[in-house]
Amino acid sequence: MTAKAADDHVHSEQWAETSHCRVSAVRRFGAFTALELVAPRVAKKASPGQFVMVTVPGGGFLLRRPLSLFTVHDDRAGLLVEARGAGSERLAGLEVGETVDLAGPLGSAFPTQGVTNALLVGGGIGCAPLQYLADELAAAGANVTAAFGFRDFRAARCAGAFAIERLWVASEDGAVGRHGTVMDVLAELDAPPNTVVYACGPAPMIGAVQRWALHEGLRGYASLEAHMACGSGSCHGCVVDTTRGKLRVCSEGPVFALDEVTP
Amino acid sequence: MTGPVPAEQVSLAVELGPLRLEHPLVDASGTFDLLEYARRYRGDFFADFPYAAYVPKTVTADARTGNPAPRVTETPAGMINAIGLENPGIDAWIGGLPEWAALRRPVIVSVGGNSPDQYAAVVRALEAHLASAPQATAPCIEGYELNVSCPNVASGLQIGADPAATAAVVGACRAETTRFVLAKLTPNVSDVTVAARAAVEAGADGLSLVNTFKAMVLDRETLRPFLGNRTGGLCGPAIKPIALRMVAEVAQALPGVPLVGMGGVMSGLDALEFIACGATAVGVGAANFTGFEAPSRILAELRAELAARGFASPAAARGIALGA
Repeated sequence: MTAKAADDHVHSEQWAETSHCRVSAVRRFGAFTALELVAPRVAKKASPGQFVMVTVPGGGFLLRRPLSLFTVHDDRAGLLVEARGAGSERLAGLEVGETVDLAGPLGSAFPTQGVTNALLVGGGIGCAPLQYLADELAAAGANVTAAFGFRDFRAARCAGAFAIERLWVASEDGAVGRHGTVMDVLAELDAPPNTVVYACGPAPMIGAVQRWALHEGLRGYASLEAHMACGSGSCHGCVVDTTRGKLRVCSEGPVFALDEVTP
Repeated sequence: MTGPVPAEQVSLAVELGPLRLEHPLVDASGTFDLLEYARRYRGDFFADFPYAAYVPKTVTADARTGNPAPRVTETPAGMINAIGLENPGIDAWIGGLPEWAALRRPVIVSVGGNSPDQYAAVVRALEAHLASAPQATAPCIEGYELNVSCPNVASGLQIGADPAATAAVVGACRAETTRFVLAKLTPNVSDVTVAARAAVEAGADGLSLVNTFKAMVLDRETLRPFLGNRTGGLCGPAIKPIALRMVAEVAQALPGVPLVGMGGVMSGLDALEFIACGATAVGVGAANFTGFEAPSRILAELRAELAARGFASPAAARGIALGA
């Protein structure tokens, strides 16, 4: 791809067009890699909770990988990658100066208007969109508390990638933070009645947070993950059950009202 | 073969039966949602629609919720899906037609079902609607693609794997419409020309091939089937050589029958290969999942590939792989 062609893409300004983005920084935390990309188009249009479809470089991988926006600063977009399979291993192995193609920002965003107290609940790689959300909420003057749960020491190293002032961590093997799940952290928190809950993580965690929020009388939002093919609403590969019927995580989601998901 | 021709002198237009297409590329059913694109596109997507005809996601007589998750995953050089024909049913589908009435391309409606009656009910309902619908409240529906890859309720087999069942579906739909009718053939047979011939003899005007290959992927931790439906349809570059062989076999067996060739088309050269094997139009499926730009890129590449080989049109290249 020539510089001219790359510029043409930047100027066509379509919602799902592909941007060619240089990796500007890499930080590694065990199985997790925090990538920073020069992505002015994505950064300009993004909101917390949205995601990008990332092409795995080098050929051999047909489908793009959906990744939440982890951070957005100026013209930079951050992604947090967990090496799970061959494709995510390749993405996690990216080095500064390499280029990746990404399309976005895609999907729905976390509503943040008028929020005074926010409680961010994350599990594993599901914590990724909550950094960007915490940054936006804090910039808007909200009080942000985060509670993250990880499986074990290896996964909990991911917590080092986050910069959130009030962040509580739990690990199921007790190696880092509180011994237990993120629900054990929530049980010990004193959430003010106007707290808005934002949850992202595995389905069992979303279900537990949903029940807890209902019991506490708190409203909130959940960001779901699903296996995706197109990422743009075409293939119906990523549908989830909701109180509104089957909805596409890529198109109607990934952010849903906490009380409408049925994890 | 002659020398190269200037790319701008290549005329990409093709005639698929009675349909005049600006170029050979159409979307493979279920891989490109016009309304999703139009809603978020900056500009008039109904005018800028990149394919020469639109083949929407398959519609059935009754609403279907589709298969349990997970429905998709990547495979070596391809992907597998088991969506399960999720769709709102023909009545709701017809109700949505005004939303995309402004599309300035011919539409080929993909029809599914589990029996000839179910297929025919869809065609009948749509024909009845179009006969009475005010102008400009519906897009330009010019044909049907009968997706015979659904399981047959009576036999449990894919309808397309049974030539008699395929003929019954085509015949039932043929009786309901004078529009262009394609039968979309399944590759899950030992001889694709048998069902192809049965479809044409029952009244199909043309054939689309191939649909996906029935396949299975295991969860690598549990060693259980990964997809919620256990099995799914394999597509992508992995299937292209088999699809090319099948298109060539049908083109040879049924010369003159218009073919829409598809299976793993990722580039303009891939599209040209299907044309060389006898296809008039070429379906693009999984490539739509690789990027917003895929259709326009593949079309530009097809033009360049034709020009480089001295073909002034797709028709000039059609079928050249079939000779000695």
